Amino acid sequence: MGSVIESLHQQLVNKEISCEALVKGKLDALKASDYNASNYILDDYALDLAKKVDAKIAKGERIGLLEGIPFGVKDVYLLQGTYSSASSDFLKKYNSPYTATAIQKLLDAGAIPVAKENCDSFGHGSSSENTVFGPVKNALDKGKVAGGSSGGSAVNVAKDFTTFSIGGDTGGSIRQPAGYNAIYGLKPTYGKISRFGLMAYASSTDCVGPIAQELEDIRIVLNTMSGKDVKDQTTFASDAIAEEAVSSGLAKGTKIGYYKNFIETEALDPAMKKQFKNILATLEAEGIEIVPLDFFDADILVATYYALAMAETASNLARLDGTNYGVREEGESLKEGYSVTRSENFTAETQRRIVGGNQVLSQGHSEEIYNKALALRAQISHHFDEDFKNVDLILSPVTPNPVPEIGNNLKDPMTMYLSDAYTVGFSLGGLPTLTAPLALETGVQITAAKRQEAKLFSCANFLKQVL
Amino acid sequence: MGKEMTLDVLSSIKGATASKVVEDLFEVIKKGHVDGGTNEVHQQSVAIDDLRPDEVINSTTTERNLIIDNFPKEKNGFLVVPKVIEE
Repeated sequence: MGSVIESLHQQLVNKEISCEALVKGKLDALKASDYNASNYILDDYALDLAKKVDAKIAKGERIGLLEGIPFGVKDVYLLQGTYSSASSDFLKKYNSPYTATAIQKLLDAGAIPVAKENCDSFGHGSSSENTVFGPVKNALDKGKVAGGSSGGSAVNVAKDFTTFSIGGDTGGSIRQPAGYNAIYGLKPTYGKISRFGLMAYASSTDCVGPIAQELEDIRIVLNTMSGKDVKDQTTFASDAIAEEAVSSGLAKGTKIGYYKNFIETEALDPAMKKQFKNILATLEAEGIEIVPLDFFDADILVATYYALAMAETASNLARLDGTNYGVREEGESLKEGYSVTRSENFTAETQRRIVGGNQVLSQGHSEEIYNKALALRAQISHHFDEDFKNVDLILSPVTPNPVPEIGNNLKDPMTMYLSDAYTVGFSLGGLPTLTAPLALETGVQITAAKRQEAKLFSCANFLKQVL
Repeated sequence: MGKEMTLDVLSSIKGATASKVVEDLFEVIKKGHVDGGTNEVHQQSVAIDDLRPDEVINSTTTERNLIIDNFPKEKNGFLVVPKVIEE
């Protein structure tokens, strides 16, 4: 079972490499990169921390597993004393007053942040093109998108510029870029990791999660960040996931479900359809019981998710008016000032989502759209509860189509929204879902019932062995 | 009162109007079928028996300084508001 974190840890402990050299190597690679994956590189911040780790090692003190390990942070998390822009003009010079709980836990474990990473502005996108720092280029093909919204984080991990990165997933924003860049990305159960200090997009589905090249590293980082936080009342206490979860496989007779309508559709790329069916055949040959399941149409999932996400982001971003922080443009009146500030500093896609959200919530629309979307969401969640009475896990493609070229998504927002068809449902259900870079061009998605993350690791390890 | 607010006013975004792509999403919702028997469950609701203590926690000096540093306009350590409404 591979672990880049474990390997680097051993090199530090054995003094085969100094922490300063390790961190400097990452910083140099980040600076030389032309992938547009990082908004801010944390030179002095990271090197100061690295020197402290080296001093500890020199004194013969024991260091923890994550101590001195360089990592990246999506630029929507606050890290005290560093800029947190959400890839927007609005907050380009916003200096974080405090640190997000998830990031603080990593700092407490000794991990070293080296970059604030490019993403779709405020998480609004599926390609990391909706950013004022330039579109993020795919790690495997610079002409293609990195995926989004945590595109910069996925690319930095895939290129080994960071050992792991922390992304944010509201409707697929960790899983999809992980798939596009052929690495692992986990959206945990909603509430497993505190959202305190994460700039809110859609609070009812926002999740913090790790992105890494190795499954074991996902487990290590997940365990470090998980747990109850009084600053986020939706969090819950959870036990650490044991190492055996990664090294074990699936027992014969394990039931794996898949949604028939996700596969038996012309919307799914033919090559990906064939590859997915091959996975099912291989699993069946290994003694796994494959269970076809019925599910909601993809367009209902996408519309329900976007109606709710837009409503929530319109409310969350109402606070950005230039009064207390961020950019302020002057106007002839107070309201004119707000309006000019918001019109000039939100991107077109962010404006579209805010306006859509206000439309959803406005008189006359709230009953037939917002309340109905809430009811549909309740039905979707209920459906998941029933499905997981019959199966242990659900497999699906991450996306219906291969990685798009740069430039196409922003021209056609509906295509971008529909590219989330296979990820948003699991977000609405608050379910733990892992992207594994296996079999399909954009990877395979593994979903378990709430709080059953350990099963994801066992399944991913099993798939890795048999595919 | 009673006057309908337009989307540009609601959103504080100049010239904001409904977009076709968002309207299309809403049409899907309108046509969606909701089972009468399904009780609406608030999946992400918070239990009220486990709330954090209702007490003030003061910011650190570093945090306060950074908040001031982020003021769009500042005078003698105070936030300068965009307009003073005297009515």
